[in-house]
Amino acid sequence: MTLNEQEIEHLKEHIGHYPEPRAGAIYCLYFVQDKYGYIPRESMDEVGELTGLSPVQLDEIITFYTLLRRRPVGRNLIRVCTNISCHTRGAKEVLAAAQEQSGVPLGEISEDGSVTVLPSICLGLCDRAPAALVNDDEVLGELTPDKIRDEMARYVSQAMNSTEASANGRLIATLKPQSQEPK
Amino acid sequence: MEPILSRNFDQKTPLDLAGFRDRGGYASLNNILGRPRDELLQEVKDSGLRGCGGAGFPTGVKWGFLAKDAPHPVYLVINLDESEPGSCKDRQILYRDPHTIIEGVIASAYVLDADKAFVFVRGEYRSGAEGLEKAVQEAREAGYLGKNILGSGYSLDIDVHLSAGRYICGEETALLNALEGRRGNPRSKPPFPIVSGLWGQPTVVNNVETVSHVPYILTKGADWFKGQGINGGTGTHIYQVSGCVNKPGTFELPMGTTARELIYEHAGGLREGRELVAFQPGGTSTPFMLPEHLDIPLTWDGPSSVGSRLGTGGLIVMDDSICPIDYLINVVDFYAMESCGFCTPCRDGLPYLVHVMKKFEEGTATDKDLALVEELCDTIFPSTHCAHAPGAVMPVQGALKQFRHVFEAHIKNQCCTLQGGQ
Ligand code: SF4
Ligand code: FES
Repeated sequence: MTLNEQEIEHLKEHIGHYPEPRAGAIYCLYFVQDKYGYIPRESMDEVGELTGLSPVQLDEIITFYTLLRRRPVGRNLIRVCTNISCHTRGAKEVLAAAQEQSGVPLGEISEDGSVTVLPSICLGLCDRAPAALVNDDEVLGELTPDKIRDEMARYVSQAMNSTEASANGRLIATLKPQSQEPK
Repeated sequence: MEPILSRNFDQKTPLDLAGFRDRGGYASLNNILGRPRDELLQEVKDSGLRGCGGAGFPTGVKWGFLAKDAPHPVYLVINLDESEPGSCKDRQILYRDPHTIIEGVIASAYVLDADKAFVFVRGEYRSGAEGLEKAVQEAREAGYLGKNILGSGYSLDIDVHLSAGRYICGEETALLNALEGRRGNPRSKPPFPIVSGLWGQPTVVNNVETVSHVPYILTKGADWFKGQGINGGTGTHIYQVSGCVNKPGTFELPMGTTARELIYEHAGGLREGRELVAFQPGGTSTPFMLPEHLDIPLTWDGPSSVGSRLGTGGLIVMDDSICPIDYLINVVDFYAMESCGFCTPCRDGLPYLVHVMKKFEEGTATDKDLALVEELCDTIFPSTHCAHAPGAVMPVQGALKQFRHVFEAHIKNQCCTLQGGQ
């Protein structure tokens, strides 16, 4: 079980807004992802039961949509836009700096668990290019390689200062990928 | 010109219901609800309002396609996906004045006699969607939504639906699939959504900016709306300027404003010492316009007169610091990545096009590759299930004419012309 009774009630209530339960799938998947930082296998069974979809059908949805994920990420997920408005203003260098600062290849969790960096399509922040979105919520605009490094350094110190490490309440209090524990 | 959609953008934080009403918000509904729908539809038609999401189809005409005896429920779906690079103008309304959206949705839904509205918000605008949801809640409590709105006998509710990414979900039929909890693959048309859309019911899909204009058209009149435009344009439009300019930004201006005014007055001009090479008038799918086109009014017809399209009205500026081929690689790569994968010319053709164009940047391209780029564009363009892939190749096809010399110079010099050569 990954969802408690109250949460299941909440999800049922939301699904009831739609004429067909499967339309609530994205909402349920987001809900689970907010809780765990990703969508674990066990939750897929539960969401499947609520929406009438099989795990394969849910996977079909998850693999299609960029913001849903089956694997854990760092406590801060940084999406750096690489599209044209950002590209003309140095996005390539910003992404490179972010990756370098993370110390691991794109998409992987940094050793201390504090960040994952991903390239992204246009984030709708073209007027603040080059831009990045942190935890699907916090906007970083007018980036430079230095600025993104500084921001990332801030996440590391935040992580060190808080044992719960759920600074924004969204990502990812319960995330503890075995291989990625702070050393 | 009176700013309409951006009239509350002077506020530091979005207005709550009381603040919005203090500034005249929702007053339009007293005037609209209860009036004969035919009369209102005619006003929208007369105003010349066109779909502001990029297609530019006349809104009143589209609404007129909804059958008089359409089976209920009828759905109104508001497209707030806008993932096209350089085109994030609606974000401003969502984040800065969500009640404006709600007022527009109610007015539009009333004209259509829709039973329920969904606002489909791209996943990257999550906190915006939360703000909108809060505003919906306020509007509900105040009786602007729900049963028997303001005693008019008309009932409507709004659902804010947060999506989870993917550009293709902005295509209206892909959006419907996404909303139904499926992969966002475009559906075949016909049947058109207005006949059979969400869950097989008649569904009207409109852009946010489009519906946000409606309350003002219906209260101030079609002539007033028309009078807001200049140079043959109608109404106001939210333009955006991004790319190689000093002050990228989003501006509500009269429809018909020229690119020259947008780039040099509103967006602070080009970066020092740089020259304008080209600009895309409305997002990455619109063919380039050149410096000699700076004075063409950005109306629905202006850019078309030189082989481009107004699109979203989100200008992207390219100066001489960037190689046109590098620019195009970035653009086509976006479409390659965001292909829904349903049809081969798009799924496989676009990555191949990127691959061939990269040869020019790497200095390994030959005359054959230039012919291949041309051939690929001509093959992909007419052969796909939806407008995604044609949108990707159109700027390339334009560039093959406008910047042919650049392609040729890359072949001759065996390197990118910006890094030496030329
Ligand atoms: S053109 Fe591309 S996006 Fe459109 S249906 Fe085909 S594969 Fe999907
Ligand atoms: S192109 Fe980077 S945010 Fe739009």
